[in-house]
Amino acid sequence: MVNVTFLNPFIEAVKDVVKAELGIEVTRGPLSLQKSALTADEVTVILSMVGEIQGVVLFGLSTQTALIMVEKMIGQKFTTFDNLAQSGIAELGNVITGRASINYSKAGYQTNISPPTLIVGKGIQISTLDFSRIVVPMATNMGELVVNLALREATPGTEAPIPLAIGNK
Amino acid sequence: MNVNFLNPFLDAANEVLKQETRLDFIRGGLSLDKSHYISDDVTVILAIVGMVSGNVFYSMDQATALNLASRMMYEPFEEFNSLAQSGIAELGNVITGKASVKLSQSGYEATISPPTLIQGKGATINTLDYPRIIVPLVAENASVVIHLALKETAGSRLNAAAIPVPDRPNI
Repeated sequence: MVNVTFLNPFIEAVKDVVKAELGIEVTRGPLSLQKSALTADEVTVILSMVGEIQGVVLFGLSTQTALIMVEKMIGQKFTTFDNLAQSGIAELGNVITGRASINYSKAGYQTNISPPTLIVGKGIQISTLDFSRIVVPMATNMGELVVNLALREATPGTEAPIPLAIGNK
Repeated sequence: MNVNFLNPFLDAANEVLKQETRLDFIRGGLSLDKSHYISDDVTVILAIVGMVSGNVFYSMDQATALNLASRMMYEPFEEFNSLAQSGIAELGNVITGKASVKLSQSGYEATISPPTLIQGKGATINTLDYPRIIVPLVAENASVVIHLALKETAGSRLNAAAIPVPDRPNI
């Protein structure tokens, strides 16, 4: 069962990070809940979350939007979506998801996130299996960023205790 | 990559594949791939977070996926439908879970994510600064490749992006 209290901390994270990294505003479009596989955009960043909230986060965008965004973040023009550009977009996804993880922590849910994976392949099918996805289209003046949240609260006993070596409680 | 990470996966894969599919898989030579992975028909992705972090992929063609799903569920699959997909995803999940238990026994605590299943040959899958160790496994009418894009994580074991940054002081 998807819990929509996960939604707002994530949307706040997208807004704050996009503002900080790209200097632009984000407008949220209408939400939907999907159980079927996602048909990938040209560029997809995948991150996993473990802990008291677990699941998968997918960011989808077009190559054109990705190139405009990395140009802003890195400060140089990209003509192709090369390795450096790919790592820039993956890092954007990483920072957004990390910020969401911090927001969840403030709400009392300890989580940790995986390293990102980046997929270039329009049309491939990505399935989060028995995790339904909340689909959040986020509009910006650089193009659309679609955030897919396939997350749920871990059942007691399945979440991993996160050792906190740096005090963030 | 540390070979201490490798053996838990090799052992887990052998045990689970034998148990679930009743096939004897022979392991081919290992290699290290720093380039992108170009996807096969079916890829299961799982992430690992903890003292070892990164991503693990299990890739195969459609024929292998159908064969393994059919063997696992004692039911012939003609098409790679939802049930077959969940079976293959579960296979990756169980192997990775078993490997994480073995890693923990070796002193590397780690948690695994739920699986994600990707269908579609020819996509570029980039694990960024995590090179992949490639483990080919071959059995009769079945060929699976395990990709290990893992690193030992020192220090706080939190992803740096998940560590809160204090506000800028007003000086």
